[in-house]
Amino acid sequence: MSPHHDARLPLAFIPPGEEVRLAGLGDEIDALQREQLTAYGLAENRPLRVLQQKPMTVILAEEVELALEHSVARHIWVVR
Amino acid sequence: MNTSTAPAILLVGHPNVGKSVLFHRLTGAYVNVSNYPGTTVEVTQAPARFDASATLLDTPGVLALPSRSDDERATMRALLNETSRCLVQVGDAKNLRRTLTLTALLAELGVPMVLALNMHDEAMARGVTVDIPALAEELAIPVLATVATGGEGMGELTSSIARAAVPDPLLHYDPLLEEEITLLAAAIATHAPHPSLAARGLAILFLGNDTEVDSWLRQHAGPAYAQLDALRRAASQRAEEDLPGLLARQRTEAADALATSVSQRAVRSSPLLAQRIGQAVVHPLWGIPILLGVLYAVYLFVGVFGATTLVGLLEEDLFDGILNPAVTDFVTTQIGNNGLSDLLVGQYGLWTMGMTYALALILPIVSTFFIAFGILEDSGYMPRLSVIANRIFARMGLNGRAVLPMVLGLGCVTMATLTTRILHSPRERLITIFLLALAIPCSAQLGVVLGMLGGVSFSALLVWALAMVGVLFLSGFLAARLVPGRRIPLVTELPPMRLPIAGNVLKKTTGRLKWYLIEVIPLFLIGTFLMYLLDRLGILPAIIEAGEPLVSGWLGLPKEASAAFVMGFLRRDFGATGLFMLADALSPVQAIVGMITITLFVPCFASLLMMIKERGLKTGLAMLAIIVPFAFLVGGLCNLVLTALW
Ligand SMILES: Nc1nc2c(ncn2[C@@H]2O[C@H](COP(=O)(O)OP(=O)(O)OP(=O)(O)O)[C@@H](O)[C@H]2O)c(=O)[nH]1
Repeated sequence: MSPHHDARLPLAFIPPGEEVRLAGLGDEIDALQREQLTAYGLAENRPLRVLQQKPMTVILAEEVELALEHSVARHIWVVR
Repeated sequence: MNTSTAPAILLVGHPNVGKSVLFHRLTGAYVNVSNYPGTTVEVTQAPARFDASATLLDTPGVLALPSRSDDERATMRALLNETSRCLVQVGDAKNLRRTLTLTALLAELGVPMVLALNMHDEAMARGVTVDIPALAEELAIPVLATVATGGEGMGELTSSIARAAVPDPLLHYDPLLEEEITLLAAAIATHAPHPSLAARGLAILFLGNDTEVDSWLRQHAGPAYAQLDALRRAASQRAEEDLPGLLARQRTEAADALATSVSQRAVRSSPLLAQRIGQAVVHPLWGIPILLGVLYAVYLFVGVFGATTLVGLLEEDLFDGILNPAVTDFVTTQIGNNGLSDLLVGQYGLWTMGMTYALALILPIVSTFFIAFGILEDSGYMPRLSVIANRIFARMGLNGRAVLPMVLGLGCVTMATLTTRILHSPRERLITIFLLALAIPCSAQLGVVLGMLGGVSFSALLVWALAMVGVLFLSGFLAARLVPGRRIPLVTELPPMRLPIAGNVLKKTTGRLKWYLIEVIPLFLIGTFLMYLLDRLGILPAIIEAGEPLVSGWLGLPKEASAAFVMGFLRRDFGATGLFMLADALSPVQAIVGMITITLFVPCFASLLMMIKERGLKTGLAMLAIIVPFAFLVGGLCNLVLTALW
């Protein structure tokens, strides 16, 4: 395995079209929002597909399309 | 709450999964259906069609339980306060993991359940298949597929409700957590047993810091509450991380595992058309031209067809041409020319002014607006608009979610004020309500402004529009800095784009129009009556006199315009129409200044009441105290600038 294979990256940096897995939510995200994100389907290990990054991060989690501000997507960690 | 003894059937589920459509199918009662999460803000109830003894309850959508948002708390309250015979969880068939995460909690409540996997059509189109018998066996409850909009599966749903069963728990938490839950459940069962919900479920919700369960237990456990609270505190100390988060994670994992074992997803080579459209609409490049196209289409329909064609037909041809002369004739021949006939058909007559404006001017404009809004709402465009508008709203301390009330405000500010409930924090609601009251002209008013300034010149209209946008941004910018609290970043679901269903849009439009008419006609008539009284008793001339320094001196308007401002307090558009009547006597600058001031001026009486209802008397009056002087300030400044430049 190459070392970068399981390197964690912020969701906000993933180019559109890529599929990634959720690795974790950063500590910058407060407990309430963390619960909200989990409820939207952002749970560890779930696959996400990045649809676009501008003007906001838009992802497909299962069949739920979610739009997140970069200020949030920056603190969501994913692996390729 | 449910006062009848009949145990209720509760529809529960995520936002926007089709609960309201199902509710309508099962009861015949209409509730607000829209392709926008969070439109059911209150619990609605109606007798079931299939069983007259059963009451059906539609609850606001919950993203997750334990409850955190107002909607979730309302749903939790319904669960706690109703004697429920059965829970029907409405889930989205294409999002099984998410659906089952909620099931994992609902299943612990010990109430007979049915799981309706709705939107089966969309799941199929996306290649998602669910092994329904396997899922039913796993949960030990009836599970079925439905398409609420097409009425598919309704028969099976009613028969399933009769077979509803208490589900098997979907998971066992960690042994340590299980111990805490059992301990707490035993204490709840002893000190505060719930008539229909299982103590174990309440224990899990209580450990998850559900505020509604907390206050219910506080109320029912009496002094033993301290013991429950101590157990919870001990548990959260032992947990190494945030306890509610830990519980939620274990439910999510269990739901994931179950979903994976009973569902399959075909690999799709290309996205569906609906998905492509949905993405183009928020595309950084295509999004803007599409938005402009949508706005133009709405303008053509509301501004041109509604405000010009229909108003022309109704006001000029029908009312001014036929009805009003006939009514006036009839009244004067019946009762002669006196105070009473003046009240009915005079200058400020209930018929000639009140009803004519309400029916001929306002009705066509709001009707077309509500139709356009309903179509946009049903199509799924609104949440996407919030993505495009997010950056602009961020400057005003808001996020893109505020786009829905703001756009609705262009139809009716009063209704939009009510809709601010979909916003997540009191701070956002406060700022939005303020901006709505100040700088968002409602459709009735827009119609008058377009008519009056359009008649002057296009640049007059442009100056007015720029002033409005400028005030909106400036006051938003200031509000963002002055209102304490933090801005909440936008995280929103984008429901699939759907072809709007005509019946749905019509029903929604009729519902809104009915609300509007019940609210507007009486106020129009009261407003007209007050104007008539003021005029009769000779108070109007006194007000015109008293307002002269401000209106003539500072705003540079003819002194009769004072009357328009008095009317403006009763309804903003009423005030604008008041100025409209003076139109011929006004210069272009006067027309612009008048319209700017009137638009900013106090919101209509109804919206003031709504503001007070939503935010309290103090806040409502404080806003009024800011808005009135501000309107005159801006109006006067525009007068100074424009007279210097024009
Ligand atoms: N394709 C499809 N669309 C559906 C189905 N059921 C509902 N819809 C649409 O989904 C949208 C949401 O329906 P609602 O009934 O308002 O959903 P809700 O669960 O009451 O939503 P909230 O009030 O936000 O909790 C509407 O646009 C419906 O027309 C279905 O089975 N298939």
